[in-house]
Amino acid sequence: MNRTLKILLSLSIIGAAAGVLFYSSMSEAEFYKHVHEVLKDPERFENTSLKVHGFVEAGSIVEEIRDQNIHRSFILEFEGQRIRVHHSGPKPDTFKDLSEVVARGTLVKRDGEFQLEAVELMAKCPSKYEENKRSRDAEITQ
Amino acid sequence: MSLSNFFDGWLTSLADSPISSLGTITLYIAFMIAAYAAATGIVGNVQKRERLVNSSIMAMYALCAIMVMASALLVYAFVTHDYSIKYVTMYSDTAMPLVYKICAYWGGLDGSLMFWVFLLSVFSTIAVWGNARRHKDMIGFVVGTIAIVQLFFLALLIFSKNPFATWLTEPPLDGKGLNPLLQNYWMVIHPPSLYIGFVSATIPFAFGMGALASGRLDNQWMKSVRSWTFLCWFFLSFGLLLGGRWAYEELGWGGYWAWDPVENAGLLPWFTMTAFLHSVIIQEQRGMLRVWNMALVIITFFLTIFGTFMTRSGIVQSVHAFGEDNELALLFVLFMAFIIICSVGMLIWRMPYLKAKNQFESLISREFAFLLNNWVLLGSAFFVLFATLFPTLSEALNGERITVGPPFFNKWMIPTGLILLFLAGATPLLAWRRTTRKRLAAQFAVPLGIMVVVVAALVIGVPRTRVMTPILAGGFKMPMALINFAIIAFVFGSIGQEFWGGMRVRMRQTGGDAFTSLIGIIMAKRRKYGGYIIHLGIAVMFIGFSGKCFEVERNFTLSPGETHLVRDYSVTYDRLEIDDTNSDHVMRWIAHLDVSKDDSFLAHMAPEVRNYTKEEQPTHEVAIESNITPDEDFFEDLYLVFNSFDRESQVASFSVYVNPLINWVWLGFGFLAIGTLFCLVREDWATTLSQRRKTRAGRGTQTLLILVAVGATLFGLTALADAQPVEHDNVSKHQASGSAAALNRENDAVLMAPYKAKAVEELRAAKPNLDPTSTKFQIALQKKLEPIVESNRQLMKDLICLCGCPRESLYHCKCGNAAQERGIILGILANHDLSTGSGRDAARDDVVTQMMARHASKEDGSGEHVLMVVPDEGYNKLAWAVPYLGFAGALILILAVSRRWVRSGQGDLVAVGDSVAAVEDEDYSDILDDELRETD
Repeated sequence: MNRTLKILLSLSIIGAAAGVLFYSSMSEAEFYKHVHEVLKDPERFENTSLKVHGFVEAGSIVEEIRDQNIHRSFILEFEGQRIRVHHSGPKPDTFKDLSEVVARGTLVKRDGEFQLEAVELMAKCPSKYEENKRSRDAEITQ
Repeated sequence: MSLSNFFDGWLTSLADSPISSLGTITLYIAFMIAAYAAATGIVGNVQKRERLVNSSIMAMYALCAIMVMASALLVYAFVTHDYSIKYVTMYSDTAMPLVYKICAYWGGLDGSLMFWVFLLSVFSTIAVWGNARRHKDMIGFVVGTIAIVQLFFLALLIFSKNPFATWLTEPPLDGKGLNPLLQNYWMVIHPPSLYIGFVSATIPFAFGMGALASGRLDNQWMKSVRSWTFLCWFFLSFGLLLGGRWAYEELGWGGYWAWDPVENAGLLPWFTMTAFLHSVIIQEQRGMLRVWNMALVIITFFLTIFGTFMTRSGIVQSVHAFGEDNELALLFVLFMAFIIICSVGMLIWRMPYLKAKNQFESLISREFAFLLNNWVLLGSAFFVLFATLFPTLSEALNGERITVGPPFFNKWMIPTGLILLFLAGATPLLAWRRTTRKRLAAQFAVPLGIMVVVVAALVIGVPRTRVMTPILAGGFKMPMALINFAIIAFVFGSIGQEFWGGMRVRMRQTGGDAFTSLIGIIMAKRRKYGGYIIHLGIAVMFIGFSGKCFEVERNFTLSPGETHLVRDYSVTYDRLEIDDTNSDHVMRWIAHLDVSKDDSFLAHMAPEVRNYTKEEQPTHEVAIESNITPDEDFFEDLYLVFNSFDRESQVASFSVYVNPLINWVWLGFGFLAIGTLFCLVREDWATTLSQRRKTRAGRGTQTLLILVAVGATLFGLTALADAQPVEHDNVSKHQASGSAAALNRENDAVLMAPYKAKAVEELRAAKPNLDPTSTKFQIALQKKLEPIVESNRQLMKDLICLCGCPRESLYHCKCGNAAQERGIILGILANHDLSTGSGRDAARDDVVTQMMARHASKEDGSGEHVLMVVPDEGYNKLAWAVPYLGFAGALILILAVSRRWVRSGQGDLVAVGDSVAAVEDEDYSDILDDELRETD
């Protein structure tokens, strides 16, 4: 087999592998959006799984226990846009009023309003080493 | 500013903070020495001036000395609470135990970069010391390469991240303290271990560059770096494992590996380094793959720098990456471009000298198996890199950040890992150059036999192992746990056979007994058998990995006295204890829980929530009960996290994980460490050890010593693995980890509701003496309902919601349509008796039939599209066959291409008169056997 062919074959295999990966990852992929980006065009994300990034609105957290499970709902806010989030199960420690949160879940329309049914809450954790300047500033300004 | 003013200012700052000034000066001096070493080393070798080369080596030693001094200064600053230095203030406080003050050295970004320079200077000194005489004509280049890498990191330290920088304002009185997460004994050893692995990859790279520059491209340089790479590989493995153990004990999400970008950064060079350790054997034995090996050395080094860049520049988002830093990112990008241009350029320049001395003769040969292993490892590295950078790539390409989670990694890495594991078992069975059919059959018979027996035993004896796991893309599922156990059995069989064969040969040769011969053969062929022990270790770790298929996770909230059933464990929340004995430092809330199984008490567990005064957030101390039921599930962990509580009502919420087989992971690493030890034993030590002792007492003592050494290592490792948090201030922080299971609790309640009242009645009738409010009654009730709920849950999971969501099940989808469908199903189920297994099966069939009928239409045919998994019957068999056919097609293509390749190799051999390909008889097979035994 000549050299050019070998190289072409290797390149095409690598290309095909990358293609397969891209294709397969699309079915697993989730959008990562801020609240205002989601609410700009909510129909586009309706019933899809995505991550939504924002701040917890002060005083909006409501929790109740049903059948040995905590259910909570709260409002996630970013740049003036607000979205209601429902979640049950354990919450991250940093989850509280004004904390920065990424909620992973499905966007649904309920009572004419878009809401997020979250399966996971991630407190936008300050990295282990550096303090998160943003959430600190947010607290200072409050 | 006049010169005298400058000195005045400098003297003032020296008086204010002598440590800081001295530290900064040492860094400047280090920078100058590194520049000198780089220049003299390279010029010395180019102009063949030995004195210059020697001078550069001395400069390398001096750099080491100066970095030891800089490190000592920083540690001194930490220990003496010199809060005039910013870095000390940020990462320590007065109350911290001494050991963490020392570890704070690498706790932050600036210090960790300096730690890098320090480690590299120590390693380069050792490497240059040992090789200066042997490689006179290239050692200058080696020193030059290392010095250039040092220059980059020193420049970062001096111009941007000086750990000795002081406050411009009045220094604070006390430091901020190290993050409690890092104040843990695993963290004392985890980062240095990972770092050693990372930093030491520079040494093989430097030798590779030296070989390229000097044109001395024989196998000599490779021999010099082989052990070095091995050590580097071991520390990287150790670092990755410790990171896993730390995450398991401290982060409270019940697992040890989550494909976090920072973990992946450590895994990438591990893949390429593993590939190199294998392909280097081919180069030694057969003079092949020389360009490939050089490329692997370059890629490995590049990936260590890339990993450092990834975790420190903020290009990927991770729970534990350092913060975002654009300036640092730019510097790293420039440096990486420099590495790639220089090293790849040199590789292309020297390509004509790196021609292979041999070619592949057969696909069924050991070298081809090695090559396959290399491809798979490199493919894994490529995949992990791709998936880690996916969010960043997608954002760069179309401006939208799209993320992929751990399930995506698992879907591809599980099959890839299993291919590698299979190769670890199959490769030793193949001969070099080519394997005759007869030999192939003889070698594979026993391992395959063992595999078949184990699989049959598991399928019949342990039905749980038949669980299906989604892999690759789409809805493709396979019984991965079973395949995993099958391959593990195969590897054990294959390696066992190798040990057995080696021992028999040794017994024949020396006339010794079995045990002495076994030790003898291992010591005589340390690299070969050490490698086998490492493979065994990896197989044992895979037993642990398969535990993921059987893990159980539950989240629940209880009032004191209440009980929750987790698989077959009853977890009863007894009471909440408040410990304020040390309240100015930490407040501890301890939940006391009792765990029982089949009404017999198993363990008392006490997970904690802690509030440190200096930290805003609470931290969580998980409770782990290892090996809780050795009779049934060997090495199972019950893992309890105390999430949160209400102070008044004492209602507390918990997460419980049952992690079967997990401890095999730590145990497997023990084997890996022992194997590495054998591989690294030096020739002269081995000679001393393997001389036959003249007296029986001498031989006895020797055997005893070996046994004690092996035993002590094993014991040490098990003790390490079993070690539980000690009574210092190690604390954990619960990571954000609401689970998918958690949100579906609501569904479970709905599924349980229609049956609860009836079950309570029946239970009261069956056990009239039992108080319905008692814990025992609740346990019995849950046990009674669990099969029904489980069956209904599975049913909902097997049906697809047609609301337009991405193929979510009725159980998982949160839309109104799913709720309505669930209602309909519950209605159908109400007509069935679900208390027996056959009743549940009948109900299930009925629901499936009715739901299919409900959604059958002209366009959609029989309504099978409501099923999550298409039944494997009729025409559907064809659909099932497609992925398999795809696999087979790809395999045939690869084989065809490779065969042509091999044939051209054989053609060349025939042309030069060596008609190896034509020979296939008994003698040849015997020769191959001998060859196999003699090579390691």
